[in-house]
Amino acid sequence: MSEAIPLHADKKPGAFVDAGTLPDGATLSADVVVIGSGAGGAVTAAELQRAGFDVLVLEEGGHHTRADFKMREDINYPMLYQEAGARATKDLGVTILQGRAVGGTTVVNWTTSFRTPEHVYAHWKQHHAVGEIAWNELGPHWDTVEQRLNIQKVPYEETNRNNRVLFDGMKALGLQVDTTRRNVKGCMKSGYCGMGCPIDAKQSMLVTYLPDAVGAGARVVSRCRVDKLVVEGGAIKRAECSAIGDDGYNASGKRLTVTARRFVLSAGGIGTPSILIRSGLGGGMVGRRTFLHPVVGTASHYAEPIEPYYGAPQSVASHAHAERGDDVGLFYEAAPMHPMLAAVATGGFGALHREMMQKLPWLSAHVVLAIDGFHPSEDGGTISVRASGAPLVDYVVPPRVRLALREGLKTLARANFAAGAKEVGFGEFPQMILKSDRDVSRIDDYDIGRLVLFSAHVMGGCKMGDDPKRSVVRSKDLRHHTVENLHVVDGSVFPTSLGVNPQESIYGLAHLMAGRLVASWKS
Amino acid sequence: MDRRTFIRRGLWGGLLLAVGGSIGLATWPTERRYRARNRLRALDEPQFAVLAAIAARTVTAPGADPIVIAERVDTQMSWAYPEVRADFGKLLLLFENALAGLVFDGRARPFTHLSPEAQDRVLAAWRDSRLAVRRSGYGVLRKLTQAAHYAAPEAWPDTGYPGPPQLVVPGDKVPL
Repeated sequence: MSEAIPLHADKKPGAFVDAGTLPDGATLSADVVVIGSGAGGAVTAAELQRAGFDVLVLEEGGHHTRADFKMREDINYPMLYQEAGARATKDLGVTILQGRAVGGTTVVNWTTSFRTPEHVYAHWKQHHAVGEIAWNELGPHWDTVEQRLNIQKVPYEETNRNNRVLFDGMKALGLQVDTTRRNVKGCMKSGYCGMGCPIDAKQSMLVTYLPDAVGAGARVVSRCRVDKLVVEGGAIKRAECSAIGDDGYNASGKRLTVTARRFVLSAGGIGTPSILIRSGLGGGMVGRRTFLHPVVGTASHYAEPIEPYYGAPQSVASHAHAERGDDVGLFYEAAPMHPMLAAVATGGFGALHREMMQKLPWLSAHVVLAIDGFHPSEDGGTISVRASGAPLVDYVVPPRVRLALREGLKTLARANFAAGAKEVGFGEFPQMILKSDRDVSRIDDYDIGRLVLFSAHVMGGCKMGDDPKRSVVRSKDLRHHTVENLHVVDGSVFPTSLGVNPQESIYGLAHLMAGRLVASWKS
Repeated sequence: MDRRTFIRRGLWGGLLLAVGGSIGLATWPTERRYRARNRLRALDEPQFAVLAAIAARTVTAPGADPIVIAERVDTQMSWAYPEVRADFGKLLLLFENALAGLVFDGRARPFTHLSPEAQDRVLAAWRDSRLAVRRSGYGVLRKLTQAAHYAAPEAWPDTGYPGPPQLVVPGDKVPL
């Protein structure tokens, strides 16, 4: 059975649609198809729809709303994260937390909002031929996005104890530290950003740009996986898709076809290159230079309750060591700990593990993130696809990144002891427990090859640049170098990592590019 | 460990299983002390029995039920990519395998046939191994089983975690 479903032929307003409700074999059509509904896709969709284009957004994840956000790890991690929260690199060396829902990772991130540092764009211009985007140009776009998302700085008094000890400890060491800006409105500081905001206070794409897009007439089709883009005559003709079944993960067997004049890929640093590869558009720099801001963390035991599960989860950051000359830069932040995250982050098993878990109310969790991709020797990871078509991330963490992270652990340990911690622990192979500031030098003996790493920031994989041999899309409008009706608008275009949490960098770039696309397409 | 070494050792583990399949040590049946109460979605019964036996040692908090934990991991695996699901099954077989145990750790019995104390020694041997592939395997098994337990409300009291707050949103009739 095949049924063509024209978009806006009847001028009806837009809607959120579950792919499972559409007939098998249906064909959808639009002016512009946006693949992915996270930071890049949502902003792009809203701006293009407002400019008069018929926009159809395809999202593999489900459309979940605040009633679904139960503040429970057993319910919301499988619902809202890639691979049910268990995504990892090929050698299992880095666990990757990445969202999978209408709204993408913005539904589950911890709201930290930074503009891209100016020196990052300068580096990209000098080393990666990003010649058509000036950092200054982004300012008005960040202004607009910040207003729409109510991005505001957190007063120190509103930080929770988990963040406050990091702030106080860094201050005591004489290191730069500040409260962050967050995209929230009416936040009750419950502490559950990572499980979807139960009160719609987080100004994620789910409650801002996607409703904006739909209000202007766009359609968002959820649980719709793009299997491949079909290229004919140098242009994308259609997307072939599978509806995802009731379990939220496996294909139901229902197939959909989507046709459009233009396609925008916004499936993120792993999704976008994997779709290109499945579509026969791999090779060159596709799936190359993937960066993760590799992270190691500490768990520190305090005499007074910390309650790392309550309060705004991330409201303090230090960039004191972001620029370390030839060495890998670092930045420091707090991380929330609910029981499941604590169980995973705390090494050991049996009685020892239980003993640590019983300290949860008194534990403080902090992370150091490595700013990867700026040194000429750092090529980052790669994205490929498995036999089933599923993505595979291969990222072998360079020794220089590991060395930097070990330095960062020392800073976190010193900061926590300065803030009054009784013990600071990290690692699993082996687990190291430090009892005082005098123990910190023991970290120098820790085998960097055995650090336990994770990531919540996937960047690169489809880098932008004006040299087609060294990039996938051009910086002028993020158009694919050879496929004329294909653009990539998400964090995959970044040539390196950022040194800050990525969401606002993506919002600003997407907003800038939407304006350019509208101007170009209407001329 | 560099990438080539990792791959070589990973292949070695696979070879060990293949070779071991032809001799008795590697085919010693799994002790099925733990049996699923519900229909399995991703694992087979021997794999489930191994996983539950592991869970019995990784999670020893009051009320922790290895069968419940293993069933939750089985559900999680039903959502995984086919290749991940297959690799997880192989990992369980390697962990259980008596021949691999003999080569790596000097124990000539399947994991499920060991005493709790000996099982703990096996877990520790994987954790402390010089081989990154064994440490990673241990990490997967530890994290999946412990996450499956501590994510659920019945685990919270032992940790001191009070659970989510009751939030009352202006305009809502009832608390969330």
